[in-house]
Amino acid sequence: MFIEDVFSGAVRYGSSVIFATQGEVISERAGVINLGMEGSMLCGALAAFATASATGSAVLGIFAGVAAGAVLAALHAFLVLWRGANQLASGLAISFLGLGLTAALGVSFVSKQITGLGAIEIPVLSDIPIIGPGLFAQDILTYLALILPFILVFLLARTRWGLVLRATGERPEVARAYGYDPRRVRAVATTIGGALGGLGGSQLVLAYTLNWVENVTVGRGFVAVALVIFGAWKPVQAAIGGLVFGAALSLQLQLQARGVDVSIWLLQMTPYVLTLLVLTITSRRQSQQIPEGLKAVFGGGKAA
Amino acid sequence: MNLTRHMRRASAAAAAALALTTTMAACGSDSSDSASADGGKTTATIGVLYVGPHTDYGYNQAAYEGIQELKKEMPDVKVLEAENVPETAEASRVMEKMIKDGATVIIPTSYGHYQPAVEVAAKHPDVIFLHQGGPKAIKPNLGTYFGQIYEAQYLTGMAAGLSTKSNKLGYVVAFPIPQTLLNINAFELGAKSVNPKVKTNVVFTANWCDPAKQTEATKSLLDQGADVISQHQDCTKTVVETTERAGAMSVGYHADASSLAPKGWLTGSVWNWGPLYTKMVKAALSGDFASSPYAGVYRVGIEDPTIALAPFGKAVSADTKAKVEAAEAKMRSGELKAFTGPIKNQAGKVVIPAGESPDAASLEATDYLVEGVVGNIPQS
Amino acid sequence: MTATTPTAPSASPPPILALAKRHAAWLGPTIAVVIILGSLPFFGISLPDVLIRCCPLLLTALAVTIPARTGLVNVGGEGQFFLGALGAAVVASGLSESTPSLVAIVLIALGGMVFGALWAGLAALLKVASGVNETISTLLLNYVAALIVAYAVTGPLQDPEAANFPIGAPIPDSARLPLIGDVHVGVIVALVCAVGVSWLLARTRWGFKARAAGGNPIAALRGGLPVASLIVGALLLGGLLAGLGGALEVMGPDGRLRQGLGVGFGFLGFLASWLALHRPGWVVASVVLIASISVGGDSLQIDLSLPATSVYVVTATVLLVVLGWRGNRTGEQS
Repeated sequence: MFIEDVFSGAVRYGSSVIFATQGEVISERAGVINLGMEGSMLCGALAAFATASATGSAVLGIFAGVAAGAVLAALHAFLVLWRGANQLASGLAISFLGLGLTAALGVSFVSKQITGLGAIEIPVLSDIPIIGPGLFAQDILTYLALILPFILVFLLARTRWGLVLRATGERPEVARAYGYDPRRVRAVATTIGGALGGLGGSQLVLAYTLNWVENVTVGRGFVAVALVIFGAWKPVQAAIGGLVFGAALSLQLQLQARGVDVSIWLLQMTPYVLTLLVLTITSRRQSQQIPEGLKAVFGGGKAA
Repeated sequence: MNLTRHMRRASAAAAAALALTTTMAACGSDSSDSASADGGKTTATIGVLYVGPHTDYGYNQAAYEGIQELKKEMPDVKVLEAENVPETAEASRVMEKMIKDGATVIIPTSYGHYQPAVEVAAKHPDVIFLHQGGPKAIKPNLGTYFGQIYEAQYLTGMAAGLSTKSNKLGYVVAFPIPQTLLNINAFELGAKSVNPKVKTNVVFTANWCDPAKQTEATKSLLDQGADVISQHQDCTKTVVETTERAGAMSVGYHADASSLAPKGWLTGSVWNWGPLYTKMVKAALSGDFASSPYAGVYRVGIEDPTIALAPFGKAVSADTKAKVEAAEAKMRSGELKAFTGPIKNQAGKVVIPAGESPDAASLEATDYLVEGVVGNIPQS
Repeated sequence: MTATTPTAPSASPPPILALAKRHAAWLGPTIAVVIILGSLPFFGISLPDVLIRCCPLLLTALAVTIPARTGLVNVGGEGQFFLGALGAAVVASGLSESTPSLVAIVLIALGGMVFGALWAGLAALLKVASGVNETISTLLLNYVAALIVAYAVTGPLQDPEAANFPIGAPIPDSARLPLIGDVHVGVIVALVCAVGVSWLLARTRWGFKARAAGGNPIAALRGGLPVASLIVGALLLGGLLAGLGGALEVMGPDGRLRQGLGVGFGFLGFLASWLALHRPGWVVASVVLIASISVGGDSLQIDLSLPATSVYVVTATVLLVVLGWRGNRTGEQS
């Protein structure tokens, strides 16, 4: 079934992006933009793959991936929060560092075989037409990607942790009044965000491609940053953005496999053009919702 | 002043970085120099360019393994290798650098290195260029060589056509270029020769090596009911593994990947460049390159050791194996050709008239898909 | 210097010093460039190669510099460069060998500039009209640009001689850039652009306004500066420069449009401009440095078989160190 196939593809291809969007949401809600997400994803992917390859355990790989993603984001947090570096420049430089480092360190892992995370089918539910195979016949990380946005909504809205995080992003003085150092809260949030990026990278190589090559993420981390704006800094909306991104790719391949006469170039562009298009439509509204703390770096056309 | 101080620091950091880079480079060249000093009798230097990493279970790995074999055969030849060389003026610069480092023979192994090679060759008439897959030789110092791997792909198509149960084969392709179209066509023709009902679905990924896209492309073909998947990508591991995990059968390409698919491996077309590389480099170093066949457009078919079928997998029945091997023997003797008319394109128009078997040179300009292939060449 | 001295006639400083004083902004960078270029032979890095590499990197770096001084982050140098190369190929496909060399070169360069500027203009339009952040839009447009080039070389601009292989047709020989020694004249064009950008930012009313808008957009808006048009102008100029870089690369070393032409140049240019704090003189110096590392990286690759992307490690590390060293001087509240 066409829609069912496209939807499953969207979930498979989109989950690594979903993790990255969730990480970016946390980071940005606390007031730090992390364009280094791409680097976190790449380092996470390589660390996960290398660990899985060396130990034979994909689960250990997940931990390594998370740690690697976190380390890179912590570096970003340090430069931005303690050394006053420009957030966008630092983030991009970190992404390039990640790209170069993983390319150099990853050479010997290119043809390694690993045992990835297997699919866990949920009986009955996975037989639901259209959404069943996509939602209920996936690996553990993909399930997590699908649940995480909802957990995050709860955490942000209902817990003290979420309150402090939001306060830090919106009104640092309030957080300070509560006895929290905004800088440290931001650092923690950025690091957790990078850890989730690393998790996304891990999902990519441990559950999806089971393969490492240089630049395996091809820009997913950057796309995630765009999708967070698209999702108005709301976890579920950003995750839906990730799914739409996955669907755009899945759609073009499914159409091709069916012999439909379509321009592959146009189809390859759809994920990026679509993201831009949605940004164009929503940015004005979105700029109302931009976390206060971000406005200094990320005016979103405020000046115009 | 703050700015100046900052700049001084910046320049210091920069200088340190430059020193670091170049020290590393220097150490690198030191070690390779001492290595050759140990050998004590380096008689010649050659340079080899790969477009991707040498561990891709694919095109570059095949070329790399051929070069390793050459190194074993010719231990007194020093080999400079560069991976991930883009197909732009970058390639020219890498070749120039190799020539400066003493290379007298350059082997650019990617089709896209052809133009840069032609340009550099014109500047260095004393250096011999052996280009893999290029369309034309340029006298006196640039020859091109390639293998008609589509012949092997015809045979693997037979194996696929005999093994499929759904009569649907899948093909994951990077870009629509003559080499890829030719292989898809040969694959479908081979399959159809033993199973008239068989169709081949094609998906283009527009990328030579993007594992995520390869995974999704493979799954989209499997979703369509294809139960044998072949491919034309530079890195082949992901497609083979994804197919294996889905319980479908694999036909490999470029390099033997049977270890990745213990259950579903059928066979594959593989390169075995070592002997040819060795012969060509010997001819190039002999001082009499111009009169050797390698100074022209040199093409080998299935009769040459350069092209081979990968070992058959467990999924192949004895009957299938016998049929494919019989066809292989006929092909080696010239009795069977992969492309013999009448052959129709997807629109049903005859592109190769009845009784004709075009030579490799005219096939290398293929710009169509044959009848039975489902999918479109992205149109301009 | 203003103190009166008895020996009046010889009071004016020697011409060389006067020159140095007037162009103080360029003195440091010039010394740095001389030191870097002078040290190349010791590292076995080819000077002409470095200079040739400087041309695209300088232009993509300047494409970041102008918007940055206007308070914008243009990460789209990569895509603007691709589109410039595309524009160059489009114009070149309409020319023939009989077109006089100078005419052909100027037309092709214009084609590249227009295409590059339009591509950046798209991001400017999105920002001004819909408030889409330019960092994100220029980043995403890079991917689209690469695919447009891929499409062009498999279809409309494909070389008919190339047996269906996806590369563009060669441009007429008359449109190839003349060489001075081993280096094409594009390098000089790029250098002139750097001086021009320096002049534009430091000495013109537009540059003053742009810097004012970049320094404090709110105040600029209150002060009645046309911020929106400054944003559009800065991005258009940036795109124009990157596009020129693409055109020069097509007319210089490559001679045709190809997929993968200039991949990474836009990003390296970005790092170079940030490394130099967007001071045009220092942008030149950091470009020379990055070009040297990048060309030296080839030796690294051939001798040590390290991947080509290793150059990012070195460059990014340098930038991170510099960003970290700056301390809290960016005026951001944390």
